[in-house]
Amino acid sequence: MRRLYYVLREAWANMRANRTTTVVAVLTTAFTLSCVGIFLLLYVNVRGAAGWLQDDIKILVYLEDRASREDVQDLEGKLRADRMVSALRYISKEEALTEFRAQFPSDSHLLEGLGDNPLPASFVVTLAPSFRSSDAVKRWAERVGGMGGVAKVDYNQEWIEALAWLVRSIELVAIGVGIILSAAAVTIIGNTIRLALFARREEIEILRLIGATRAFIRIPYFVEGAALGACGSALSLGILKAGFELFRQQISLTGRFSGIEQFVVFFPLSMCLALVGVGTALGFAGSFVSLRRFGEGRT
Amino acid sequence: MDAMIQLIHVSKYYNRRPALSDVSLEIEKGEFVLLMGPSGAGKTTLLRTLIGAEQPDEGQIFVQGRNVTKLKPSEVPYLRRKVGSVFQDFRLLPKKSVFDNVALPLIVQGASSQDIRRKVTEALRAVGIEHKNDHLPHNLSAGEQQRVCIARAIVNGPIVLLADEPTGNLDPERTTEIIDLFKLINARGTTVLVATHDPHVMAQVNRRVVVLERGALAPEQRVGV
Repeated sequence: MRRLYYVLREAWANMRANRTTTVVAVLTTAFTLSCVGIFLLLYVNVRGAAGWLQDDIKILVYLEDRASREDVQDLEGKLRADRMVSALRYISKEEALTEFRAQFPSDSHLLEGLGDNPLPASFVVTLAPSFRSSDAVKRWAERVGGMGGVAKVDYNQEWIEALAWLVRSIELVAIGVGIILSAAAVTIIGNTIRLALFARREEIEILRLIGATRAFIRIPYFVEGAALGACGSALSLGILKAGFELFRQQISLTGRFSGIEQFVVFFPLSMCLALVGVGTALGFAGSFVSLRRFGEGRT
Repeated sequence: MDAMIQLIHVSKYYNRRPALSDVSLEIEKGEFVLLMGPSGAGKTTLLRTLIGAEQPDEGQIFVQGRNVTKLKPSEVPYLRRKVGSVFQDFRLLPKKSVFDNVALPLIVQGASSQDIRRKVTEALRAVGIEHKNDHLPHNLSAGEQQRVCIARAIVNGPIVLLADEPTGNLDPERTTEIIDLFKLINARGTTVLVATHDPHVMAQVNRRVVVLERGALAPEQRVGV
């Protein structure tokens, strides 16, 4: 117990003794992790947006005019039995015409000259959430396109693929930036610990001579590194939250993107805790790097 | 009698120059030995090999029957807990009180708070400085700082006490006090090895003297008892 108290007191004393270095380390770590956080926040929001945009994507299965009533019923049966299909709505030629007139009242005269109703009957299909990736949609559309009575399967392929590409790109950039800036955070904290080790080298030598184990000497520095990482990451979350709220306020004030602010989200609590955990681990790693070569051998 | 410290043909080189040259020495349990020699004779190197701070290039070293040269790095701290060390420059932690400095070896070993309080008080009383337990080292005289250093070395009841030029920074009066303290500690059963180049210390100690010259042992002489 006394040993634990000693270790924690030493870590605290280290940080107090090197106040400027400690503050600089926390601030630079916070800034570094904030940069990573911006990409993560962007990623979380774009992925969320992609999710609900994909939820909204409908696939239109247009039917051939010459398809008989039996053909349509047969196709409907097949689609309803398909485990990838979560919702299905039949739109007859007449309903299609009514919807067209309702949606484009000023253009409805365009259809007048064509005599018979030129709009095809169709099924509006919503796929189950687990089958909404661009590849899955593409494969499904190709399969259904070959079924009897189907004239064409239409969906916004480019839109889905562009969205998937955007999510993947942000994910890759976030990973890349995350790795580089995490290495920077480890180096910053590692240097702080190295300075602390240098400042206290005589004390460390005394501890060695009176029989302190390597672990006893090192633990305060591990605690210090972890604390710096935790403080840095907590501060970075504060910076991100402040920036996020400011951004949300700005977009609602401009009015141009009115309404979008309610769809922009900050990290959930679990992710905030995970980020503080990551910061702590980075700080620990920084200490580890500095202490690795320290105290090797017998002295 | 049992050998507490044994050096068998020990040599140590720095840049091919011998710091210790074929040193063989045996110190028995409860002995008080003076290690004499001029600066650079190898006294500090010899003491450092005894606590595993230096590895000899040749030879074997035993402390209480344990081969120090064969210890793993993780075992060295446990050897040092049995061997108290006193330094010429005291090596006290400047920002810690006298009490905390003396308590350090016990904290390192994981002693309980009650044990720490009792043993530190005893050690400070033994060196006659218990009334200054809350002082910082820089508020003490050189002689008092050396007493604190000795208290720290004996607080966990070591089997051996090593002192490297313990009176180097002290006036003759304080030197006598510190030597008397070592005699007292030795009288309680601790084996004491004091390295010094000060002939006044030799005159006061009146015990076995081992002389090192350029890393080699000179023929032994025994003064007094």
